[in-house]
Amino acid sequence: MSTDTPLNRRQISRELTRIANASVRDVLDTIGHSEAPAAFRIGITGPPGGGKSTLINALVKDRLKNRSDTRLAVLAIDPSSPVSGGAILGDRIRMDAIADLPGLYLRSLSSRGARNGLCDNIVDLLTLLETHGFDEVVLETVGVGQSEVAVHEVVDTLVVIVPPDAGDSVQTMKSGILEMADIVVVTKADQPGARRMASDLAAVLRKRGDRDVPVLQTEAEGAGVAALNQAINDHRAWLAANHPHALTRENRRRYHLQALIERQVQDALKAKGDITRGTLTASYDRLLAALRVK
Amino acid sequence: MTLEKKRILIAKPGLDGHDVGAKVIALALRDAGAEVIYTGLRRSPEQIVRIAVDEDVDMLGLSILSGSHKELATSIIARLREEDAGDIKVFVGGTIPEEDFEALRAEGVSGIFTSEMTIESVIAEVDSQLS
Repeated sequence: MSTDTPLNRRQISRELTRIANASVRDVLDTIGHSEAPAAFRIGITGPPGGGKSTLINALVKDRLKNRSDTRLAVLAIDPSSPVSGGAILGDRIRMDAIADLPGLYLRSLSSRGARNGLCDNIVDLLTLLETHGFDEVVLETVGVGQSEVAVHEVVDTLVVIVPPDAGDSVQTMKSGILEMADIVVVTKADQPGARRMASDLAAVLRKRGDRDVPVLQTEAEGAGVAALNQAINDHRAWLAANHPHALTRENRRRYHLQALIERQVQDALKAKGDITRGTLTASYDRLLAALRVK
Repeated sequence: MTLEKKRILIAKPGLDGHDVGAKVIALALRDAGAEVIYTGLRRSPEQIVRIAVDEDVDMLGLSILSGSHKELATSIIARLREEDAGDIKVFVGGTIPEEDFEALRAEGVSGIFTSEMTIESVIAEVDSQLS
């Protein structure tokens, strides 16, 4: 639902801040009645320092080439400090080549203590972007190890990156995030070991459904990125043809409902110290009663 | 965690390539609980204003060691106002001679930090202006 009108950046960014800090009730008031169509969501995940931001820089530049009417948002999550709760959000530094594109909106996010590679309200933010008519959203997770697979549930196409120097850590990724990958990318392909890494990965990756998981190689300056964009588009077409339900808003509703409820449980446990009094059944009933949104 | 959930942009406009001071301030703000976005070196006023708007920051800290602090601050504040973002507080840090303080404040700069100031006093000043 792209339009010719320029993005209202000020309004979008203020709404994102508001919903990022809102209670569940306010979240529902803001996006709870939205009928906006689902944007195509691309997730980029992989280990810290693996080249996620650099890849997004080249990927988005290529994706928006000759598509001036496309609205694309990038949400880039960095970890918060477990000590202060603050964060340094530095993903932008590597996204120089796309910083001035008119159809792009780029926002840095703190994980705010979440340990799943995302932030707890990520689905609220994604849904809000959809109300502003974004066609596509690229989501960069925190640098992850093997177990942070939640991103798989909030995106349509998941790209897992592996740098050539990942070494033995790939062994642990094999049972974990790599199993969730729709596309695997070996970054820094100009470095020694990249080709070997790519062939090793291709040998161990099993089919997902009836589909082979492509293993591609990219370089910071953009080599291989056009092929990656093609692979992303191919995956989207494959989903639409074979799993049309996967691309619908209803399919995303499950994760969103779960995220909202989890936040309410956390809020209720924090606000009411007496919930845990008495027997397990008594406190469970008390918790359920506290979850009713007023 | 006095600066909890405050969003702060630390930007390096102009041509000087020294960002040790900017990084020290960014880390201190993070340790005070803020979410700090760092632009990297040599951003134009247009780029900095777009980042400030996209990131919806409460405060923009400009680190300038090149001597062109007046021109850069003036240009950036004017552009922020054009973008309906004049409420973002602008601070300037770096090698700023005292005789320029008044002119900068007259242009709309909320605070001026020099290398003689302690980190604690910088954080305290940011905290009082943002709360």
